[in-house]
Amino acid sequence: MVATAVMVSVLAVLAWLLWLSRDVPARAPSSRSVGAAALVLVPLWLALVVFYAPLEVTQGVLQKIFYVHIPAIIPTYFGFTLSALGGAMFLRTRDDRWDHLALAGAEVGVVFCSLMLLVGPIWAKPAWGHWWVWDLRLTTTLMLWFIYVAYLFLRSFAFGSDTAKTFAAVYGIAGLAAIPFVYFAVDLAQGSTMHPSDPSREGLPAEMGRTVGAGMVAFVWIFGWLVAKRLELAFLQARALAPRAGEGV
Amino acid sequence: MSGAAVAGAVLRKDLRLDLRSRDRLGHMAVFALLVVALLSVFAPSARAERLAWTPALLWVVLLFTSLLGLARSFQSETEEGAIALLVQAPVDRGWVFLGKAGAAFLALVGVELWTAALFTVFLDVDWSPGLATCAGAGLLGAAGLAAVGTLLSALSIGARFREFLLPVLLFPVALPILVFASKLTAAGLGGGEARPQIWLAFALYDWVFGLIGYFVFDYVLED
Repeated sequence: MVATAVMVSVLAVLAWLLWLSRDVPARAPSSRSVGAAALVLVPLWLALVVFYAPLEVTQGVLQKIFYVHIPAIIPTYFGFTLSALGGAMFLRTRDDRWDHLALAGAEVGVVFCSLMLLVGPIWAKPAWGHWWVWDLRLTTTLMLWFIYVAYLFLRSFAFGSDTAKTFAAVYGIAGLAAIPFVYFAVDLAQGSTMHPSDPSREGLPAEMGRTVGAGMVAFVWIFGWLVAKRLELAFLQARALAPRAGEGV
Repeated sequence: MSGAAVAGAVLRKDLRLDLRSRDRLGHMAVFALLVVALLSVFAPSARAERLAWTPALLWVVLLFTSLLGLARSFQSETEEGAIALLVQAPVDRGWVFLGKAGAAFLALVGVELWTAALFTVFLDVDWSPGLATCAGAGLLGAAGLAAVGTLLSALSIGARFREFLLPVLLFPVALPILVFASKLTAAGLGGGEARPQIWLAFALYDWVFGLIGYFVFDYVLED
């Protein structure tokens, strides 16, 4: 049930974002209903975290960090996938609307990836005794974060030009291609992993599983709303920079 | 003019520039010398301990050194406006990439030989037990760095803060090269055999990035 809800949310938000990105000025008002959905889902998720999910026996309240940390993975990968898709389509079609989608996906993806990387150590210090370990999942995620932060640097240092869009799209593809190799390489270098395996699959009490799922659904809708706002901003920026037709300057 | 001829011409032009001006190679050689000499000051005196760090140190030195050369791999083209002419070559622009990356590969192999010699002199490293393994790691490492480096160097042309941007772009993507190469070098130095998966993954990495460079260079030079 939880997995289905997450899947449906991801597909619905994806379809809506693709539809929205085709004609941002005319379709922007639809982001209000997505924002409203997020506004309902977030308090619901927080209420589940505080009142519904049981206190873990050994870790106590510390374990509640999981309800932020685990859900953040979904919008992270969602954003980076959207960015790669937008970049590849931009190279094919040279349509700025795809580029806006690529940029918005990368930016919002980085926000959620940062959130995941920030709250993880807060849990790890008391639980493992270390803020950070050079573990397979941690290192791969950090490299993923580095790649997309580099992507944003690349864009900001060559602001506004068509070249920057092309170069960013190419770097997005190269970065995506590097990820499986990074995963394998880190596995090779470290050998073992400390990170708990995917807790949404098994061994988690049903209440905790549902709370994680609610977090994922809420995050997906917040993600969709943020990407929509970023798309609107990209559209306004492009319009402000474009030479105005019919005005003798 | 066939594609291979264009690639060959670009490669020969880059090598000739390198050998005549000796700027790029000379700077890389001096930089490697300084870094290895500096590292040797802090190297542990126990041989086993030193040997454990050698492969990783070697490849970090090579990464930084190669960055120095890669950062300038399009300098001659952009300074003299030659890039506009390269774009007009009547072949697939992927061949231009192969020529540039080929020249970078040969330059990097030279840098590797020099750095390996420095490690022998300063850190008393004996390459003979696993020479073939170390040579294989060196060739695959140079090919990977040349492919990724040439592509990313082209992406940072004309950007502000270029000398900051290139390492930021390169390091996370180049991490697998460092891990694969240092694992293979460690196996070679220890006289052991490396796992075949590492060779395979390494060759696959080089192939994938060579292919990406070949196919996307069209877009890169277009702008």
